[in-house]
Amino acid sequence: MEEKVLEIINQIRKNNNLDGLSNLNKTDNLRDDLGFTSFDLAELTVKIEDIFNIDIFEDGLVNTVGEIFQKLS
Amino acid sequence: MNILITGVSRGVGIEICTVLLEQGNNIYGIARTHTDEFKNLEYNYKGKIHFKSFDLSDGDNVNEEVFKDFIGKNPIHGFVNNAATAYDDIISNLNLDRLKNMYNVNVFTPMMLTKYVLRNMLLYKVKGSIVHISSISVHTGYKGLAMYASSKGALEAFSKNTAREWGQLGIRSNIVVPGFMETAMSSTLSEEQKDRIYKRTSLKTVTSIRSVAETVAFLLSDKAESITGQNIHVDNGTI
Repeated sequence: MEEKVLEIINQIRKNNNLDGLSNLNKTDNLRDDLGFTSFDLAELTVKIEDIFNIDIFEDGLVNTVGEIFQKLS
Repeated sequence: MNILITGVSRGVGIEICTVLLEQGNNIYGIARTHTDEFKNLEYNYKGKIHFKSFDLSDGDNVNEEVFKDFIGKNPIHGFVNNAATAYDDIISNLNLDRLKNMYNVNVFTPMMLTKYVLRNMLLYKVKGSIVHISSISVHTGYKGLAMYASSKGALEAFSKNTAREWGQLGIRSNIVVPGFMETAMSSTLSEEQKDRIYKRTSLKTVTSIRSVAETVAFLLSDKAESITGQNIHVDNGTI
């Protein structure tokens, strides 16, 4: 699951001309560390929902990679 | 193009489906009732038209029922928010339950549908087009239509802001503002009342349902690629 999330995050970073990451840290902040805008977060949400059938934004904002893993586990 | 349309049981909804099918589009239609008029279109356009029975007063199950069960993994290129319910009365008689029910159908569920339409367009990277059907009552005012007009005014503001928010992804949102048409919704009006309404228009007649449907189809198409955030009046020039 964590590898799939990394793959999705790298897809979005690539679209924004950002370098791909080799690994994710649970404390990584999606906006500050990964450079995601609100539209990037929206794209991340729909891509994750498409694969895992879970809406990570359903009950409020998600800030870190660890919070995504928690919702998907 | 795959087009999601609400309120496809009769009137304007059926006419919009007809125009879009004639142009070769695929229709995903939603309504409470599966009418003979819609079944007739299904017969004539087999495989190009799909129906889902869904009550728009239920905003909680939009994702599950409409998007996961009905649309599935298909990209949506256009969304037409056409369904509406009318609640006519003078304001001093306003009933809160009836008002809330109307807002569920006319505003809240359409907003939830828009949420998931945008998510679908985002997932499939579609530069889609959204069209809401409003009402001339928002712009002129008619006795007894204050509550109904307020719900359509909310949609106009929502559309304008959808256009601004999602324009950078190439997604457009527009409003079609029809004048008074001969539909079930206006069937309670007397001939005298209708004549008074038509006299307030430049063309002095009833608004053509076909003209409304053709305008919706135009706004959904690439011909309207530079039009967003607009209210397009199809109202015989209502004064």
